[in-house]
Amino acid sequence: MKELIEYIAKAIVNNPDKVMVTEERNDERVFLKLQVDEEDMGRVIGKQGRVAQSMRTLLRVLAAKQGIRVDLDIV
Amino acid sequence: MVVVKKGKARFLGLGGEETTVRVTRRQSEATVQEAVTLAKEILEKLLSLMKVSAAVHEKETSSPEGETRIALDITGDDLGILIGRRGQTLFSLQHLVYLIVSHQLQARVPIIIDVEGYRERRQEALTMLAVRIAESVAASGQSVDLEPMPPNERRVIHLALQDHSTVTTESVGEGEARKVTIKKQ
Repeated sequence: MKELIEYIAKAIVNNPDKVMVTEERNDERVFLKLQVDEEDMGRVIGKQGRVAQSMRTLLRVLAAKQGIRVDLDIV
Repeated sequence: MVVVKKGKARFLGLGGEETTVRVTRRQSEATVQEAVTLAKEILEKLLSLMKVSAAVHEKETSSPEGETRIALDITGDDLGILIGRRGQTLFSLQHLVYLIVSHQLQARVPIIIDVEGYRERRQEALTMLAVRIAESVAASGQSVDLEPMPPNERRVIHLALQDHSTVTTESVGEGEARKVTIKKQ
């Protein structure tokens, strides 16, 4: 899960070195936290949150295959 | 380059007007092909990260206006999961590939992604729906609201009925709930 978000985020920001994704999980849920450089916040959120929403949608495909739920926080 | 407003020459250095021009950069064939190749690589990478086994092919497609465009078609088994409710997953995939390609090439190149020809089938189905509803609106005089649709699908409806003699179309509502109303002129 982490790898998917890491790949997308690094590919759309200006400072890929500052991209960090952490993953925690319990039995039924995965919690992902995405951190980027302050300057890149807008790029990973997008207009009206469209980029963040798109990343969550793709995550859901992956999660559904594993029968779990996933949360993505951008901090 | 298009001359928007023609200037006037100065007379004795007085009262001249500047000429305004609009310059649009043509997307060269090379850029488009480069973008498609890059988009294909990115899409394959995303699919593998999503653990979806599928193949990606380039194919020619036509826009609702009938222009030829290059699309990436994803084929494989059981790909409904890539389309999602009202095509939302497909839209997300397309949007992210577009962003990544644009970021890498520093140019905005439209990318169309399809799953097993879903977009074309949907476009045909929507056109047929539009024509059918238009007939009933024309007959009854009662306006009909279609279900909420994303922008590209609403556009198909508008285009399908733009030359209709007795009905007009209009998009109403905001965001996710935006839908097309078909009404008698």
